[in-house]
Amino acid sequence: MFPGQFPSEMKSKTAALTATKGKGVFSWVDLLVLLGLFGLCWSVLHFGRGMIVHFDEGAAPPLDVGVWNIPYYAGRTLLRMWIAFACSLLFTFAVGYAAAKSRAARSVILPALDVLQSVPVLGFLSVTVTGFMALFPGSLMGVECASIFAIFTGQVWNMTFGFYHSLVTIPTDMQEAASTYGLNRWQRFTTVEVPASMHSLIWNSMMSFGGGWFFVAQSEAISVMNKNIKLPGLGSYMASAVERGDNHAAMWAIIAMLVVILGSDQLVWRPLLAWADKFKIELTESSDPPTSWLYDLLRGAYVFTWFEEKLAQPFRDWFRNLTLRFTAGSKPAKQGRPTVGAIVFRGVGILLGLWVGYYAISGVLAGIATVHQHVSPGTLRDIAWLGLLTMLRVFAMTIFATLIWTPIGVWIGFQPRVARIAQPLAQIAASFPVNMTFPFVVGFYVAHHIGMNWGSILLIAMGTQWYILFNVIAGAMAIPNDLMEAARTYGLRGWPLWRTLILPAIFPFWVTGACTAAGGAWNASIVAELATWGDTTLKADGLGAFIADVTQRGDTPLIICSIAVMSIFVVVMNKLLWRRLYALAEQRFRLD
Amino acid sequence: MIQPTESAVGSDIAGRPVIAELCHITKSFPVRGSHELKVLDEIDLAVHEGELLALLGQSGSGKSTILRCLTGLAQPTTGRVLCYGQPLVGINPHASIVFQTFALYPWLTVEQNVAVGLMSKRMSRAEKDAAVEKAIDIIGLSNYHAAYPREISGGMRQRVGIARALVSEPKILCLDEAFSALDVLTAENLRNEMISLWHNKDTGLKSIFMVTHNIEEAVEMATRICILFPRPGRLGLVLENNLPYPRDAKSPEFQQLVATIHETITTLALPDHPPEPAHVSGRPVSRARSRMEAIPCVPVGQILGLLSIVRDSPDLTNIYEISNEIGKEFGETIALVKAAEILELVDTPKNDVCLTTLGRRFLAADREGRKKIFTEQVYKLRLFHIVIEYLKTQDEVDADKILKDIATALPYDNPEKILQTMVAWGRYAGIMDFNANNNTVFVPHDEETENAG
Repeated sequence: MFPGQFPSEMKSKTAALTATKGKGVFSWVDLLVLLGLFGLCWSVLHFGRGMIVHFDEGAAPPLDVGVWNIPYYAGRTLLRMWIAFACSLLFTFAVGYAAAKSRAARSVILPALDVLQSVPVLGFLSVTVTGFMALFPGSLMGVECASIFAIFTGQVWNMTFGFYHSLVTIPTDMQEAASTYGLNRWQRFTTVEVPASMHSLIWNSMMSFGGGWFFVAQSEAISVMNKNIKLPGLGSYMASAVERGDNHAAMWAIIAMLVVILGSDQLVWRPLLAWADKFKIELTESSDPPTSWLYDLLRGAYVFTWFEEKLAQPFRDWFRNLTLRFTAGSKPAKQGRPTVGAIVFRGVGILLGLWVGYYAISGVLAGIATVHQHVSPGTLRDIAWLGLLTMLRVFAMTIFATLIWTPIGVWIGFQPRVARIAQPLAQIAASFPVNMTFPFVVGFYVAHHIGMNWGSILLIAMGTQWYILFNVIAGAMAIPNDLMEAARTYGLRGWPLWRTLILPAIFPFWVTGACTAAGGAWNASIVAELATWGDTTLKADGLGAFIADVTQRGDTPLIICSIAVMSIFVVVMNKLLWRRLYALAEQRFRLD
Repeated sequence: MIQPTESAVGSDIAGRPVIAELCHITKSFPVRGSHELKVLDEIDLAVHEGELLALLGQSGSGKSTILRCLTGLAQPTTGRVLCYGQPLVGINPHASIVFQTFALYPWLTVEQNVAVGLMSKRMSRAEKDAAVEKAIDIIGLSNYHAAYPREISGGMRQRVGIARALVSEPKILCLDEAFSALDVLTAENLRNEMISLWHNKDTGLKSIFMVTHNIEEAVEMATRICILFPRPGRLGLVLENNLPYPRDAKSPEFQQLVATIHETITTLALPDHPPEPAHVSGRPVSRARSRMEAIPCVPVGQILGLLSIVRDSPDLTNIYEISNEIGKEFGETIALVKAAEILELVDTPKNDVCLTTLGRRFLAADREGRKKIFTEQVYKLRLFHIVIEYLKTQDEVDADKILKDIATALPYDNPEKILQTMVAWGRYAGIMDFNANNNTVFVPHDEETENAG
C-alpha cells in the first residue's frame, strides 16, 4: 500500500540499498518509489488531520457504516499502528540500550519489564482514556493517544527484551574490534550494535506488530465510565456494524482487515526480512534466505544510491566534523575518572529514574490506599476465585490447542513445500484481530444455547492457538535430517518415533509457542469472557469478564484490584511454570 | 645464534627504542564465589621498534590477556603499561589487532569494514578513501571492494582483518592467533606476506607482536620469542632468533631452535624428578600422595589412545614426534602425557615417553582389569580425596562445595574445568558420577562399583 514506508525504517549507516552501484540512471522503479513516498506523505497528512479534530464525547456523530468509507477507516487504523510502532521502536532503543550499558539501569529495568509484560493491557484502557482525555481537552487527540498507548504497551516489552538480549550477546571480538579502532558511542551504536541486533529486532517487531492488531481493534471502540467512545477506524467500524446487525458491512470490514494485514506483511515486513538477512552474525550463507518481490524491485532503484551519496553521506561528514570540533579540545580522560559527558549522561539517567520511580511508587501507594478503602477482603477472595477460573480456561486452551495443532504442525513441518506456505499463513492468522469476529461466534452460541463458561475457551483459543501452531511447525522443520534418518534406519515409527525423537525435538519450540499463547490468552480473556451479539450479552464466570465489567462501569478501586490480581496470576505462572519449562528445554532438549 | 637468556640478547635490541612496554603486571579474574584466579604473574615485556616478537604459550596460559593489556583493551590488576614511555590511558593509539576469528562486521562490505579502522580519525572523506584504497591494495584485495565477508573465503576474510588493522597506520600490529583459524596452505601464504609487510617500511609499521601456540609459526616468523608458562602465566624463556628470512623449516638451525623450545616446555611440564616433599607420617588419608597436584584436563579415551600408540610403535618415543603423529598441538600432547604420567602408566625420561610396568599390565588387561587399575591410580591422587572424603559420609555432595575446595587447593587452576575432568575420570573408574539436574556429585550404585571400591 505504501511502498515508501520501507526506507523510513532504515536507521543504520549501511542502510543504503547500494547493491547495484554504478548504474547511475533513474528508471521507472525510481518513479514508483518517488510516487510511493509522495503517497505516503500525503496519507500521513490526510489521516493525521483526522486525529486532531474537535471532539465532544456527548455530541460525537455516529460512524458512517457506508462501505466506501472503509479505506479511510483502514488508513486511520494503520496510522495508529505505525505511530504506536514508532514509539515502541524509540522506547526499545532507549531503554534496551540503557539496560545493556548500565548495571544500575539494568537492575531496575529488567524486573520492571518482566512485570509490565504480564499486565493485561486492555484492563488499563479506562484509566488511560480518562488520563489522555484530560491531557487534550476537547480534542480527539486524547482518545487517539489512549488507543495508541494500548497498542504501544501491547508490543513494546517484547521488542525491548529482544533488543537488550541481542545487545548483550554481540560477540566479544566484534566489540573489541570497535574498541581498538576507537569508535565513539554513536559510531558503535550505528556500525556495530544496531546492525548486530537488526535481524532479531525486525523479527520481534514483526511479531509484536502482528500482536498489535488485536489491541487496535479493541481500543478503537471503547466503553468506559458508561460512555461509548468510537474512534474512526476498522475496529470501531466493525463494532458499529455488529451493533446494527449489518452482516454485509461486517464482512467487508473483515476483508479490509485481512487486506491491511497482508499489505503490511508484503510491503513492509517481507522486504525488511529479506534486507535483514545480511545482518545475520554467522558468516555462512543462509541456505534458504527470505525473499520478497518488493525488495528485489527496490534494489533496482537508483534513488536510494543517489540519496546515500548525494545527501546522507555529506550530511554525516558535516555532522561528524561538527561533533569533532566540539570534542577537539578534550583529551581522553584519566583512567577511572569519567568524562564530563559520562557524568551528564549518568545525571540525566538518575534524574529520569528518580522521576519515573517517584511516579510509579506514588501511583502504587495511591492505588493501595483506594483499594484498601473501598474493597472488602470478601471481594478480594471473589476476584481471586474468578482468577482461578480464568486460569483453568487458559490451561484448557493451551492443552486443547497443543493436542490439536501438534500433530498437524509436525505434519506440515515435515513437508517443506507445505510449510513454506503454511507458516506465513499461521503468522497472519495470529495477527488477525479475532475479537472482530467474536460477535458471530457468540451469535452461534446464542442460537445453539452453548454456555459461555465453556464457549469462552474457544473464543480465547481463536486468537492464541496460532502461536503454538507456527512454533511447532518451526520445531518440526528444525529436526536434523540425520536424526530422522537414524530413526528410520532403526525402524522407529508411530508412537516410539514421536516419543524418542519428535516430541523432545519440538519441545523447546512448543514451550516458546505455548508461553506466548498463554500470555496472550490472559489478555484475550478480557474480551472473550464477555461478548455481545446484537442485544444479547453473554458472560462467563472469570476474571476477564469481571475486568471488562468494572471497566465499563468505571469502578476504579475494583479495576486496580482485578488488574493487580491478574498480573499476579500471570507473574506466578511465568515463574512457576514457564520459566521452569524453558530451563528444562534449554538443558535437556537442545539440539546442538 | 641461539641465545637462551635475555641478558645475552640485549646486544641486538638494546639500542632500539621501546614502543610499548608492560612493567610488572599481574592480572586476576574473579571466578565463581569470591575467589580470584590469577592468570598473569609479574610480566615484564617490551616491544621494541623493528622487531617481530612472538609470545608462545598453550591455550589458557594468558597470552591473549597480555595482548589485551598491551593494546589497552584490558587493564592489568597491578603494574603499569607504558607506550613510548608514557603511561597508557584507554586504548593504545599505536597498536591495532588482527583477531583469530577475524571480527569482521558481516553487514559491511570489505571496503566499509576496512574504513572502520579510520572511524576515529580526523580526516576528510577523500583522505579516508585514499587510505582505505591503499590498505586494500597492499593486502591484495583490490577486486573485493564491494564483496561482503560472507561471500569470501577464510583467507580473504583475514586479509580484510589485516587491511583494517593497517589502515590506521599503527606502529605495532598485534596478531592474536591470527592464522590458527585458517587451513595450512592459506596460513603459510599469509605468514609470508606478513613478514614482507613488516620488511616493507612504507606502511609506517614498525613492529609486529604476535601471540601463538604454534611453535613452528613462532620460529618461522619472529626475531624474538618469549615463552609463557601457564598457571599462573609467567615469562619462562626469551630466545633471540636471527635466522635469515625466508626461513627454511627443514634447515638444521631452524630444527635446532624448535627442539630447544620443545625441550624447555617439556622439562617444565614433565620434570624428571618431581619435587615430592617428604611423606607426612601418620595421616590416615592414605595411599594418596601427599602433594596436591592438578590433573590435566584431558578425556580418558585420549589417554588410552596415547598408551596404545606408545605400545604399538616402539620407535616412537620422543614427545614431539608423538605429537606430530597424533596431529595434536604440542601443548595438548604434553597434557596427555602428563595425565598418563601422574596415573603412573608412563614414565618420561627427558623428552621420551615409555610405558611403565603398570602401563603394560593396564594395556594387557580386559575392561574390568583396566577399570580396577585406573581406580587404584585415581585413589592415589590427592585431588580426588576432596570428593572421596565427602562421599564417605554422604551419598551426594553439592558441586559448588567441591568447586570451592578445589579453588582453595589449586589457586591457579580453573576449578570448573578440573571438576569436569575429575567427574569424567571418576565415571570411567566407577567411583563417582555427576547429576546435572541438581548439580551434585554422587556415588553410582551398582555391583561393579562395590567390587572395585
